[in-house]
Order: sequence, then structure tokens, then C-alpha cells
Amino acid sequence: MSLLKKMMSQLGIEDERLRLDWVSASEAERFAQIVNEMTEQLRKLGPFSPGNGGGNV
Amino acid sequence: MSKLKLALYWAASCGGCEIAQLLIGDKILKLAEAADIVFWPVAIDAKYKDVEAMPDKSIDVCLFNGAIRTSEQEHLAKMLREKSRVMIAYGACASEGGIPGLANLFNRQTIFDRVYLETQSTDNKEKVVPQTKYKVPEGELTIPEFYDTVRTLAQTVDVDYTIPGCPPEAKTTWLALEALIEGKLPPRGTVITHNAKAVCDDCPRKRDVKKIKKFYRTFEIIPDPEICLLEQGLLCAGIATRGGCGAPCPQANMPCTGCYGPVDGVVDQGAHFLSGVASVIDSNDPSEIDKIIADIHDPVGTFYRYSLPDSLLRRARTK
Repeated sequence: MSLLKKMMSQLGIEDERLRLDWVSASEAERFAQIVNEMTEQLRKLGPFSPGNGGGNV
Repeated sequence: MSKLKLALYWAASCGGCEIAQLLIGDKILKLAEAADIVFWPVAIDAKYKDVEAMPDKSIDVCLFNGAIRTSEQEHLAKMLREKSRVMIAYGACASEGGIPGLANLFNRQTIFDRVYLETQSTDNKEKVVPQTKYKVPEGELTIPEFYDTVRTLAQTVDVDYTIPGCPPEAKTTWLALEALIEGKLPPRGTVITHNAKAVCDDCPRKRDVKKIKKFYRTFEIIPDPEICLLEQGLLCAGIATRGGCGAPCPQANMPCTGCYGPVDGVVDQGAHFLSGVASVIDSNDPSEIDKIIADIHDPVGTFYRYSLPDSLLRRARTK
């Protein structure tokens, strides 16, 4: 996970786009909360596109 | 039987593929018996307009090495595709982007700034950087456009076969040329090599349990010559790399760097290599894991050494 994050930063991918968490099958509320948090976080970042490297990408 | 017409071209590459083609040794005489070379900039004085004048599909086979990073290379790739019945991506750069593909961590602007303005050895007071057009008293000079992103040949034109390697081993080159000469080509799309399994399958080193507490760079240790290099903490790409080369690097005490590309069925070689490496780290303590991976100094350059343009991401995001 930390190796992947290290590589992602080299590739210009924000840290917030990757999250690892554990939820038990009995923790429905926690599951919903994590998914909502992640969704909100991604919405703020907007779609990922490698396409802003200049004119002729 | 009429002779085959063969074309060879180099795009963004180092010239090593041309040397690799000559490494087939005296078999080159067999090639000369079976084929006429109609275009080969490194050795034959044929001009682009000569190729342009050839009828479509009049070249039987084109061996194309090098990645596509300029408008000239893209133009030649498209022209040779039109003129050739069979297009072969020869070597790692044409197949996966290769070493030039690591430029996809940057873009034209940052590359030009570094190369023409910033390096310690640069003396460029007028801050001259390449322009595609420049007026001189004699007229207008033009040079090809340099793209932000390095592409593989298959991302530019249809490719029929791939010969992997940086450079391809002579036996791999001959495997393909022999099939061509005998007219026994494998199904379209085949990556031509002796072994579709991983390099580990070719490697004679002893493998036991992979549990790594510390990674080393090649200059930091002299590895045991008989034990798996990855087990000794060297980042050997053999686990995630197509075989057929015969594992010459591990047998010379150097880790595989991944030049034969991904094993069959794998799309993203770097992700495959990374997950293999992550799974052998022998720790569950986050701070210890951070310490272990601190020794992996350049993850992209290590895991995607030859394959960044061919990866799922293709390039880094740059500002």
C-alpha cells in the first residue's frame, strides 16, 4: 500500500484517490460512512485525467 | 521463389536493435538468400521518398524498432504500415515504449527546459530551444515536432507481431526471421519468443522462500551466484517478465530489468511486478514497511522500466 502510494505520487496521482480500510460484515453504518467519505473526496478532486501534460498528449 | 522484400526502420531508440539484428551472425547470409532489404536507414542509402513511391503492401515485412515520440516517427510508422503486408514491433521501445518511454514522467516543456536550459553542462545564453520552423535567409527550415507523450508502435498503427527485448536476443530474432523465411508465421498478434512463461522459468537459480527485510541496489552487494536474486533483496523483474531470453542477466549476477515485457495474460507489467515485490516484504508493521520500501528509490523507473507508455496509465500527470 505505501509502495503503491509512493509510485502514485511519482505518476502525479493524488494520495486521496486510494484508501484501504477494513469493515466487518456487521458494520453496515461504518461501511456506508466510508463509501460516502470516499465518494465526497473524489468528487472534490474531480475526474482523473493524465491529459494535461501539454498540447499534444 | 521470388525473394521477400524487407524494410527495417528505427524511431525513438538507441541503435542497439540494429546491432541485435546483426547478432544473428552467419544466419544473415540465409536472410540475404531469402530476402532483399529495400529500406534500412542505418545501412542503406534509401530516401523517404523512395518508400513513398512504393506501391501499397509491396514490402512483405517491416521490422520497426523504437518508440514514437516525434511527428517524423509517426509519419514513417504510418507510411511503412501502408507499404508493408506484415508489421513487426521489434524490441522493447516499439513494443512497450522502452527506456525513451520513461520520458512520460515529464512533458515536452519540462524535457526541453532540462535538456536545453538547466543541465550543468549546458551553455545556452540565448536560451535557444528547438522550434519546428525557423526562417533563415535561404528560406524556412523545419524539424519534426516533439510530442509530450511517447507512444508504442501499436498505439500508432496496427501491429501484426512483436519481437520483445532490449535488445532482442539473437535467438529470438532468428526465431521470427526463420518463421518469415519459411512462411510459417504464428497467429497474428503473437509475441514471438521461445518461452511465454516468466524469466524465472529460464533461470537456473535456487528458489526457496521469499521474505525480504531489506532491498539493495545492485552496487550495494555482491549477490550469491546460486540463490534467487529477489530472495537476496535485489529487485529482479524476472517474476513479472516474459521469458525466452534464457535469463542471461540473472546468470551474470544482475537482476532482470524486465525488457521482454509482461508475461502472457498480464496487461500492466509494472503493477504485476509491484504486487509481486509487495507480497515478499516480510513485515506487518507499517513503520518497518516504510523503512523497507525507502530503499526502493524510483518505483516507476524500476517497475515500469520499459513499459510506462504501454501501461494502463500510459504517462504521469504533469502540471
